Amino acid sequence: MPTFTLGRLLFTTLVWSIIAFVVAPLLVIIWASFFADRILTFPPSGYTVDFFLRAWALNDFSSGFLMSVQVGVCATLGSLLLGVPAALAIERFTFRGAEIARQVLLSPMYVPAIVAGAAVYIYFVQFEILTEIQLAATFPGLVIAHTLVALPWTMRLVCASLMTANASSEEAARSLGANALQTFFLVTLPIIRPGIIAAAMFSFIASFSDLEKSLFLVGPGKTTLPIAIVNYLEWNLDSTIAAVATVQILIIAVALLISDRFVKLGKAF
Amino acid sequence: MAALLDRRIPSGAALVLPALFLVAAFLLAPLALIFRYSLDVYDPAKLMLGVFSAKNYLQAVVDPFYQQVLWTTAKIAGLSTVIVMLLSFPVAYYISRMPSERMRSVLIILTVLPLLLGNAVRSAAWMVVMGTKGVANALMLSVGLIAEPMKILYTPTAVVIALVSVLLPFAIITLQSVMDSIPTSLEEAGQSLGHSPLRTVLNVVLPLSMPGVVAAGAICFALAMNAYATPVLIGGPKMQMMGPVVYEQIVKVSNWPFGSTLACMLMLVTLVLTIVSTRFLSRRYF
Repeated sequence: MPTFTLGRLLFTTLVWSIIAFVVAPLLVIIWASFFADRILTFPPSGYTVDFFLRAWALNDFSSGFLMSVQVGVCATLGSLLLGVPAALAIERFTFRGAEIARQVLLSPMYVPAIVAGAAVYIYFVQFEILTEIQLAATFPGLVIAHTLVALPWTMRLVCASLMTANASSEEAARSLGANALQTFFLVTLPIIRPGIIAAAMFSFIASFSDLEKSLFLVGPGKTTLPIAIVNYLEWNLDSTIAAVATVQILIIAVALLISDRFVKLGKAF
Repeated sequence: MAALLDRRIPSGAALVLPALFLVAAFLLAPLALIFRYSLDVYDPAKLMLGVFSAKNYLQAVVDPFYQQVLWTTAKIAGLSTVIVMLLSFPVAYYISRMPSERMRSVLIILTVLPLLLGNAVRSAAWMVVMGTKGVANALMLSVGLIAEPMKILYTPTAVVIALVSVLLPFAIITLQSVMDSIPTSLEEAGQSLGHSPLRTVLNVVLPLSMPGVVAAGAICFALAMNAYATPVLIGGPKMQMMGPVVYEQIVKVSNWPFGSTLACMLMLVTLVLTIVSTRFLSRRYF
């Protein structure tokens, strides 16, 4: 039974200080996005929402935001289209090399983003030299790279969902005469729906927040939001960038809270 | 499960193939390509000579500049990892033994959210905190701790602080899941034998979660070695670490062979550490 001793109080304080160390900078940047001063000063002389409008008026941020949303949506769809059938096959069918296939499909998560970005960039350029099809600094190129960023998340969450769901309802459907497609759409899909929604959210988050891989693959006028943030930060630090960061924090927090309703977050990692 | 599909083997393979193709064509093949290029030799006029040589690898280890880069990277990654392990342990234990399910899920969201925000936003946040006119300086000035703004940003200390905060969530989540699998009955046994709570944690929980500590440590070290945004934005131009140097060599200098060599070295270190990590995680005692 927990007893309230000095030791316990110290321990709780220590733990919350460490959590504050991780979370506080994010609260500070959200706070700073409402400062009225042109130059970032603490404490501010007043508050305003002008910097959100100013950020949207800067083409780098508005087009970067739209680009990130578009790439994120396409990458999420791509990773679900490829990942859900693959997860189903690995969890439900027995075939040679299923375990290897699982490892290969999870591998993009373990390759450092900076290495993967460099490799894909060089590969795209060589591909262009051979075929004259440009992929580096194009929308399709970014979508391909981001689908790879998202795929392991889809695999993990959908596999976990299939693992916990009992296969007996699917067997029952089959033995009652449903064909493979009917079984999938009428039985399996509703069962793993929470897993798929969480997979979609995490895929989108992974794509939307990616910096290192996109770094090599963006081009003039084809910048994602995190890249626009980094470029801006090289020369400026003001409430405009705080406003942009706040928007990104908000979007990712909403996606995270949605997925939290469907799967236990601790299990996603 | 056996009668799920009539033609199990072909269908199973057919469902996996498209995804496998994507990974093979756009990740494994590019990695193979940069490994090949890492053995080539850079030529200012022709870009590459098309030969096989270990020259780049030798240069990466012998050249004083790259030695320094490697040493700085390893030092910063090592220091950050040690701090992360020390800080993540109590937090993971706290979350893992939290009786209220609701509070536990709040704590997990607080940990996971920063992890998912991406390094651009997190670096921006630390810049606002650590800048000359940032919150940290304003706070210390107002309480009279310092007389003039202190230079925190663009120092190695700042990079370590920011990296620790980037890596902490990874370590907390990994350790917490390992601790979840350690039965609380063991701690109760320790307590009933008259040990203090601290002693019980050190004697029972720490040894049992050691595989998790090694696994999380390996992952954190690998992530720190590969860091890009933190050294560039928080460390400034003088902070030379592997990640930014790889980008510079490949995109700015266009020295593909040498850039590939550095990338392959990072890949190798990461691969070894990932294998170590998964081995240790599967060697849980419970």
